[in-house]
Amino acid sequence: MRVELADLVFARDSFTLRGSGTFDEGVHLVSGPVGSGKSTLALLLAGLLRPESGAVRRHDVLSTQLLLQFPEHHVTSPTVAGEAASWGLIPDDALRLAELSARADDDPFHLSRGELKRLTLACAILRDPDLLLLDEPFASLDCTAKRKACRMLEERDAGITIVFSHERAVLPRVDAIWEMEEGVLAARGSVPGAIPSWRHAPPYLRYALEQGARPMNIRLSDAREALCRIRG
Amino acid sequence: MQDPRLRLLSVAVLSLAAFASTVGAAAALVWWLLFTPRTGSLPRPGVLLPLVGMVAATALVSAWGGGAGLSYFFRMTVILLLAAWAYTETEDGEVLAVAVWALGNRVGFEVGLVAEMGISGISVLRQEIEQVRTAMALKGIRPGVRSIVPLAVTLIVTEIRRADETARLLVVRGYTTGGKICPRFRTDPLDVPATIMAIMPAFLSALPLRDVFILVG
Repeated sequence: MRVELADLVFARDSFTLRGSGTFDEGVHLVSGPVGSGKSTLALLLAGLLRPESGAVRRHDVLSTQLLLQFPEHHVTSPTVAGEAASWGLIPDDALRLAELSARADDDPFHLSRGELKRLTLACAILRDPDLLLLDEPFASLDCTAKRKACRMLEERDAGITIVFSHERAVLPRVDAIWEMEEGVLAARGSVPGAIPSWRHAPPYLRYALEQGARPMNIRLSDAREALCRIRG
Repeated sequence: MQDPRLRLLSVAVLSLAAFASTVGAAAALVWWLLFTPRTGSLPRPGVLLPLVGMVAATALVSAWGGGAGLSYFFRMTVILLLAAWAYTETEDGEVLAVAVWALGNRVGFEVGLVAEMGISGISVLRQEIEQVRTAMALKGIRPGVRSIVPLAVTLIVTEIRRADETARLLVVRGYTTGGKICPRFRTDPLDVPATIMAIMPAFLSALPLRDVFILVG
């Protein structure tokens, strides 16, 4: 299973997105500043935008799920349970994962944005698609919820997961790093080899690298472990 | 048209002329053909056609009830064309500048600020509609009558929240009433003739043409 970008070019007004590369099975992080083209790339990978030239080729990918940045846009039902059901899921499972079982009969718009984000994230993950695209999945979440979201992503043991995020504090364990800069997608490679060349690396990773440590992955705990190893 | 004061004046006069009579609408259409980029100022068909469709539906109901449906459709379509042109040409801050120029830093600033927020809301609304339609497509919900209610609910709620956030932001920044800006305008050599020509449809609209024809005849 893989998704291949073949000389992809997409243009809208003065913005042009370019990218090539292959997303294999595992968790991929596409990082980059706000406005660099991450959301547009997610829509292209989901097949919701058509490229000007080049192609997005999906090999053995039978199902795709995109989680949009703003959870309000996903709402189509008047209750939280109904909203979970509208994703084709058993509501109880989704609400339990999102820790919203007590809010089943509430209006989704009465949830805070963080709660709604938790709900949509749980629904997207529970659908277990071959290709899971998450646009800013950590936005609006507190640190505890971010860590839980990371665990949920790490527990996904099959398929391709692509996380589009500018998050620089709480990150999941990933298999590959990509960067978007002014509309150009650059592959940094597999982790841990890609970490030193990651330009948008979070400060704790930069610090660990400056100290001569070699973190095995991109989480804060990985940086800590690497520092402990060199300091004995 | 460079000068937003003349542009807004032209649009207001032409819209009134087009609304008042079919002759006024025809004259306004001629002005639109002569002084605007024509189809270059129109939004994409996905935005324009539903609006024209709503006007057509109202016109049909009017015609069915014995009213002047065709005239209504023509007049409203011309107003839509003028509105589309004015919206495309208007840049951020121009309406605020015109309002302050016309009404001063207190009332003008208030009116201009509200108008600016309203205009910026249109583009936000367009993006929101695209996002909600994308989300519905992801759930396998096809566009149709059934999708209108959730779409409308989401848009209303997000717009109310956005307005609330903007209001809170203004309060946090210490905004109470009025403000101070020094508006500057650029005028293209063609702006003044175009504005003078925009007044012609208003005359044609107000003129009792039937009486004129009797006199001539």
